[in-house]
Amino acid sequence: MLFGAVLPAAAQDISAALVKLTADGYADTAEAIGDLATSGHPRAAVIVQAIADKTLEFDAATKTVAIRDGGKVVDAATGDAIAAPPAGLSPVRVNNRVRSAISAAMGALTLMSPDPAKRRDAADAVFKSRDQGALATLDAAIAKEKDGAIREALRVARAAVILTKADASETDRVEAASIVRERGDQDAVSLLRSLPSDTPKRVQDAAQTAAKAIETTLALWGGVQNALYGLSLGSVLLLAAIGLAITFGVMGIINMAHGELVMLGAYTTFVVQEVIRSHAPALFDWSLALALPLAFLVSGLVGVLIERTVIRWLYGRPLETLLATWGISLILQQAVRTLFGANNREVGAPSWMSGSLDLGALTLTTGRMWIMVFALIVFLGLMLILKKTAAGLQMRAVTQNRAMASAMGIKTPWVDALTFGLGCGIAGIAGVALSQIDNVSPNLGQGYIIDSFMVVVFGGVGNLWGTLVGALTLGVVNKFLEPVAGAVLGKILVLVFIILFIQKRPRGLFALKGRAVEA
Amino acid sequence: MAHELASQSLLYLDDVKVSFDGFKALKGLSLVIEPGEMRAIIGPNGAGKTTMMDCITGKTRPDEGEVLFEGGSIDLTGLDEAAIAELGIGRKFQKPTVFESHTVEDNVYLALKADRGPFATLFHRLSGAEAARIDEILETVHLAERRAELAKNLSHGQKQWLEIGMLLAQEPKLLLVDEPVAGMTDAETMQTAALLRRIHASGKSVVVVEHDMAFVRELGVKVTVLHEGGVLSEGTIDHVASDPKVIEVYLGR
Amino acid sequence: MITHFLLKGLDRRVVVALLLILAVAVLVPVLNLVVPEGSPFHVPTYLVTLFGKYATYAALALALDLVWGFCGILSLGHGAFFALGGYAMGMYLMRQIGTRGVYGDPILPDFMVFLNWKSLPWYWHGFDHFAFAALMVVLVPGLLALVFGGLAFRSRVTGVYLSIITQAMTYALLLAFFRNDMGFGGNNGLTDFKDIVGFNVQADGTRAALFALSCLTVAAGLLFSAAIVHSKLGKVLVAIRDAESRTRFIGYRVATYKTFVFVVSAMLAGVAGALYVPQVGIINPGEFSPANSIEAVIWVAVGGRGTLIGPIVGALAVNWGKTWFTGVLPELWLFALGLLFVLVTLFLPKGIVGTISDLFARRRAAPPVDPTAQPQPAE
Repeated sequence: MLFGAVLPAAAQDISAALVKLTADGYADTAEAIGDLATSGHPRAAVIVQAIADKTLEFDAATKTVAIRDGGKVVDAATGDAIAAPPAGLSPVRVNNRVRSAISAAMGALTLMSPDPAKRRDAADAVFKSRDQGALATLDAAIAKEKDGAIREALRVARAAVILTKADASETDRVEAASIVRERGDQDAVSLLRSLPSDTPKRVQDAAQTAAKAIETTLALWGGVQNALYGLSLGSVLLLAAIGLAITFGVMGIINMAHGELVMLGAYTTFVVQEVIRSHAPALFDWSLALALPLAFLVSGLVGVLIERTVIRWLYGRPLETLLATWGISLILQQAVRTLFGANNREVGAPSWMSGSLDLGALTLTTGRMWIMVFALIVFLGLMLILKKTAAGLQMRAVTQNRAMASAMGIKTPWVDALTFGLGCGIAGIAGVALSQIDNVSPNLGQGYIIDSFMVVVFGGVGNLWGTLVGALTLGVVNKFLEPVAGAVLGKILVLVFIILFIQKRPRGLFALKGRAVEA
Repeated sequence: MAHELASQSLLYLDDVKVSFDGFKALKGLSLVIEPGEMRAIIGPNGAGKTTMMDCITGKTRPDEGEVLFEGGSIDLTGLDEAAIAELGIGRKFQKPTVFESHTVEDNVYLALKADRGPFATLFHRLSGAEAARIDEILETVHLAERRAELAKNLSHGQKQWLEIGMLLAQEPKLLLVDEPVAGMTDAETMQTAALLRRIHASGKSVVVVEHDMAFVRELGVKVTVLHEGGVLSEGTIDHVASDPKVIEVYLGR
Repeated sequence: MITHFLLKGLDRRVVVALLLILAVAVLVPVLNLVVPEGSPFHVPTYLVTLFGKYATYAALALALDLVWGFCGILSLGHGAFFALGGYAMGMYLMRQIGTRGVYGDPILPDFMVFLNWKSLPWYWHGFDHFAFAALMVVLVPGLLALVFGGLAFRSRVTGVYLSIITQAMTYALLLAFFRNDMGFGGNNGLTDFKDIVGFNVQADGTRAALFALSCLTVAAGLLFSAAIVHSKLGKVLVAIRDAESRTRFIGYRVATYKTFVFVVSAMLAGVAGALYVPQVGIINPGEFSPANSIEAVIWVAVGGRGTLIGPIVGALAVNWGKTWFTGVLPELWLFALGLLFVLVTLFLPKGIVGTISDLFARRRAAPPVDPTAQPQPAE
């Protein structure tokens, strides 16, 4: 043990504690554990752990305390093997009182562990147990600690002990309250709020003030968290809906197979990863980048095929389109089920997408963050295509005035097919992203279709910005409702809200007005 | 002053303004139709003719201005299409819209003045008087021989007539007729003019919106010229035809 | 007045269909109960139940056709009305279990005991009486249709927008009924029924009676729908379907008419659902799933929307196909159903019955008089 040597020699005497263990009384055992915890002896942690594991045995007659490690028996204090263990060895008995003494002691003992993670956990354990016996060890540990964050955790743990220590001075306890406040979480609040009633008023007041301050900050962070998670959900909705904003919003086609095109994108990702896994594992981090164009092509081509074979016969009959594309969605689902099986398929995350990001008190997984970024890129890219390219201009021309566009020499059937293909291809791209956060199964698309339509209708048909605002709004509203109403009820409320909203504004948030729309 | 005018009118529009997304379809339109009057309204595309009809029949709510009916006693701006129709304002659309999968006589039957409540129609039985009225109207609009056919099998001109017949069946006090002779042969146009004059002679007020100057001349009534959402000129056809403003914006093209 | 109203619906085709349905309603129970099991004419009980289930589907299809075929309202949420009727019946059946449940509680259904509930929620009261439950079977779907339809039609939500929000409605109900706190058995729904009005739900006699009752419901629904369609109100509905704003300008309150037919249709769907539940022995939130409602739409489309016989034919044909496929080639069923959606919309827009009556009309070379034989595109 590295740090054993620097501790004062007096602290290392544990023989008295060991004797207490042989007394075979719960009170004695608990006391002995406390003594061990404050002793600073290098074997103390091992001994306490052995009590917890019920491998610590004693023989009252010979006052032997030993640890049974599989077949062999070692001396508790030295760790040396005992060649001929006494016949009367029996385990030290444990009850609830002993157990709590163990956990308090372990907290104190591991404060000095060489493993930083263990030290940190230990600091938290002491914060929770507020074991006054640990105070000496805490002081020693704070003096030694080099890691700033752990040092801070130790300080807060020490403050928690002082705050609840009845014989500490009022000034110290008031100061302790403000240190506990630095911890700033729900545990700190419950500690500050649960001081016994005989605590001096000055300390009580300081604790209450600190608790209130924490709660305000927590509420603020809660709001920020809801907003952030809401934006994250909103960007998922945006990804799912954005292709639909083209096929439904711009072309007026009710494409019920939209979700299945998203699903095809997710399965494309799966296939790409399978190929990479078996042929070029080194490329795995590039799998999503490779899957994106492929997913666009797969879903886009399926989309063009659907348009050329079915939808083009149904222009001007939206309800028929709805039924036909529903049929197509069933066929696609069953096709994927036949090819890949009904079970979820494993799609892995490349290394740059795993892990998480700490933002103040919040954690956002890197995957979620990338999806938010990706959704925005897809959105802006689509805007650019529609607004700045010749193909985009033709698409808008055809959807606004088919006869005129045709008269000007635009091949309207091809523009129709390509526009629909673009919308479907984007659904495929969305599938690549969604494969990272959802189960890749034949039912993947079904989960998104209603939400997607809600987003497009809510945002206003024919308006991509409306889709963006609609998706993000619904995402955020959903996340703010969740803590209040629960996830399912929250979703129901959002649906009811949209239904009522459509009554008020049948054309959505950003509706086109005027005579042209009614025609 | 204004309300004295209103009290003697059947239909009274004062300073009606409507805009769609910044486009001003009507910019302060005022119009007075007296009881028993027939009026022709002309104007180039985009002059606001259809929007005016929409405002009168409750399809569009004006942003500003008054739309009053029956001597100024009824404010039309707060009512829906059905209520306005029941008050006695009938409308024929620019594009003929009849109920294509109903027979010609059923089209008239549905338009016939009667209780419009769902339970009244559910248990309704065609009475002798109603049957006679249907016969009469079908005669008037020259469709008696085709009464049992589906309306979708009628020619364009016949659909226009059927729509006028449906208007008559409603027994309105005021008929709004939007481009009744569009797509008609010359003979049909003259027949239609005669039909409208006969309807007018039976004591009904009629507002006809039309492009066809020969037809307007044939009607021989007071003409109002609309331009850019307001009234440009008003008077006899000869008066407006010689008005330099009208010549410039409309006839002069 | 009522008799006249009903008689007016009796054209030749409806009369033939009614007689056929009534004959089946009598014949199948007789072949099941009276003809001995060894006889080739014996109809086994499982088939009686299967046909009974089909009959309730036919009634649902008829209800859907009334709004879609005749008034142009494509509801993608009619399964919700069917399921609500089913739940009302299920609640009655749960209350009839009494002490025979696993936990033996005389009042509380098993799932409530399991959830540690102490007393019956207020909305479960009264369901121990059959008459009350029967009333709720029509009232609850009717009320939902009244509120939902009334709002939507008054705001002039039409076409695909209406379709999408009806889908959202049934989806919201699906989510709601999955929740245990709703008090409808959550995920598992209501099941383990024992008696219906004192008869064992499993008994052959009860099953035959439920079958006959389902057929009678289809017959009554057909007669009633025919009367509506042939009345002046029916003509107004078709007028709304073909030219909604024209109808408005001749003075009909379109929203009122749509709400009326939507409510009537929801009630019929509710009755169908109520008869479905005792025959299949379970009702769970899955019945609210949007896919179910869309499947009902395809029954109507296959049979011929805007015809009265079509939806009945369509429901029987598609479901018979489903039973056959899932028995012989289960993995091909979704392909077949999907193709059916595509092919019917592309090549058979008038459905089986509509196409056949067109053929007949052409052969006779006379213009068809029956407006119902000429369905128009809804939009």
